[in-house]
Amino acid sequence: MAPIDLDKYVRPGKDHFLALGLEGSANKLGVGVIKHPLGELTPENRALILSNVRDTYITPPGEGFLPRDTARHHRNWVVRIIKRALADAGVAGADLDCICFTQGPGMGAPLQSVVIAARTLAQLWELPLVGVNHCVGHIEMGREITGAENPIVLYVSGGNTQVIAYSNQRYRIFGETLDIAIGNCLDRFARTLKIPNEPAPGYNIEQMAKRGKHLVQLPYTVKGMDLSMSGILGYIDGVAKEMFGPQQKKLVDKETGEEITPEDLCFSLQETLFSMLVEITERAMAHVESNQVLIVGGVGSNERLQEMMALMVKDRKNGSVYSTDERFCIDNGIMIAHAGLLAYRSGQTNALEDTVCTQRFRTDEVFVEWRD
Amino acid sequence: MTDAILAQLDRLVPNIPLQVVSQGAEALVLSTQTHPYAQKSGTFIIKYRPPKPYRHPKIDAQITRSRTAGEAKFMAKLRRAGIRAPNLVSVDPNGGLIWMESVGEILPNGAVSSLKNLLWYLEQGSEAAGLLVQSQLELACRHTGAVIAKLHMNDMVHGDLTTSNMLLQEGEAYLIDFGLSSYSALAEDKAVDLYVLERAVLSTHSVHAEKYNGWLLAGYKDEQCGAYASVGGKKKYSETLKKLEDVRLRGRKRSMLG
Repeated sequence: MAPIDLDKYVRPGKDHFLALGLEGSANKLGVGVIKHPLGELTPENRALILSNVRDTYITPPGEGFLPRDTARHHRNWVVRIIKRALADAGVAGADLDCICFTQGPGMGAPLQSVVIAARTLAQLWELPLVGVNHCVGHIEMGREITGAENPIVLYVSGGNTQVIAYSNQRYRIFGETLDIAIGNCLDRFARTLKIPNEPAPGYNIEQMAKRGKHLVQLPYTVKGMDLSMSGILGYIDGVAKEMFGPQQKKLVDKETGEEITPEDLCFSLQETLFSMLVEITERAMAHVESNQVLIVGGVGSNERLQEMMALMVKDRKNGSVYSTDERFCIDNGIMIAHAGLLAYRSGQTNALEDTVCTQRFRTDEVFVEWRD
Repeated sequence: MTDAILAQLDRLVPNIPLQVVSQGAEALVLSTQTHPYAQKSGTFIIKYRPPKPYRHPKIDAQITRSRTAGEAKFMAKLRRAGIRAPNLVSVDPNGGLIWMESVGEILPNGAVSSLKNLLWYLEQGSEAAGLLVQSQLELACRHTGAVIAKLHMNDMVHGDLTTSNMLLQEGEAYLIDFGLSSYSALAEDKAVDLYVLERAVLSTHSVHAEKYNGWLLAGYKDEQCGAYASVGGKKKYSETLKKLEDVRLRGRKRSMLG
């Protein structure tokens, strides 16, 4: 297929595109402004991040974020965050080419509150709206930041766990979770242990796991290319309740006779879950004969996961791992702006009546017109 | 990387000439002329699951042990049920090794007689030979369908049915690679098994996929409604087929939450 003309929609007299991205599918409210130069994006002709502002709704230890409260947080902050993002970028509303927003997947109420902001701005400034699939946003941002060309994508976050490969204008899902997402599994275990949610429950588990030494055997549930995590969570929750509940049962490591600590539990949970992730990623790589892996999503900022992936890839010919830091791994507005702008440049926009958000929006539903 | 794995393998089975047949994500498949304990000649296949450096050693040992033992048990059960599959020779669960007898032949074009290679080979010659090849193709597919039917009638599910996981020898079909196999009496699981095969045929033999899938299913039906008619084969067949319709419509399992 001939590459499409990405500069067809440039405004007269301009040599670049500017997009504002609004993200609020979960407990992070993110706003970013991105600038694309004319022509295809290459390592020499890169997208420019003008601003990337985020505010996270943090709940007390032992509690998760509820849709209604998260939506209220987003409504309270969205105007301030947008103003700050525009000020950081030094851009006025009238300079923009389009407003991009997360159309799904995600929690309904937070999505709704952010899309209202997007619609309002689009009508104020008379700009087109572009609805973005959250997962595609992660993938495109990861590709742009790392320069990975055609990697197997491991998308791991609080709501998603997918192994994805690009083929024929779609991001196709090779393997995924059959029940809960990995981030959800980690967050919920953090709640059981009453680990603080600040800055993020997964981050705190990672720090505790670094001090863990003894492995507690947990179920290992890979099913072909897919995996299941609810059973593991149920099992380890049970162990933790025995240890810290009214029973105060002492568990010891069989080999050393030392007592099992909460740190050991975090360590065991991470080791087990990440082994499963790396295994299905390796399977997908063997299947499509790829040697690049790109890790995106909030859990992708975990250093142990990156390290394990690197160990796996080292055994493959010319293998390489690409990952990004927390600015781009964790939900942010810039990735929505970036993926939205790519869609805008290939002619995809949403009429006002087509901007309804959806909680369910699969990665492979998006027609990826901008890649060949 | 293969060199490092071969070095590990050499420590488990020293001084045996080995040839790499194929390498997947999980295991390495090799062939050898040496029998592990008896003075027997012939070709043997070794399936080796090497340790994975990224996994915690305890997790790694447990997975290797349970998967290797599970696969060997599955193969032994197949033999008892009279389902054509390679014969198990020996198993070392801790080392991740399975020895089995080799099945399959070499096709005139030098490829192994997997259903995939056979179909490709016959397709090439089909213009010249015409009808004869048509019936050969049909027979190969029907035989394969019948073996799968037998497997399902024993409440076993292969888990990874593709045309490269079936070998033909003297006109009979053999199943190989039971790394993802399981036991299930559910029509749902059997339907998913058939669906996976259908998709595999579609992606590897797209031009004639419809014909091949038709023959495979016909062979499946004949076996269940013929040989197994007296033990409820007909009922199981219609249940599985009904589920297969559902699975086809549904495609993948899950609609995603953010």
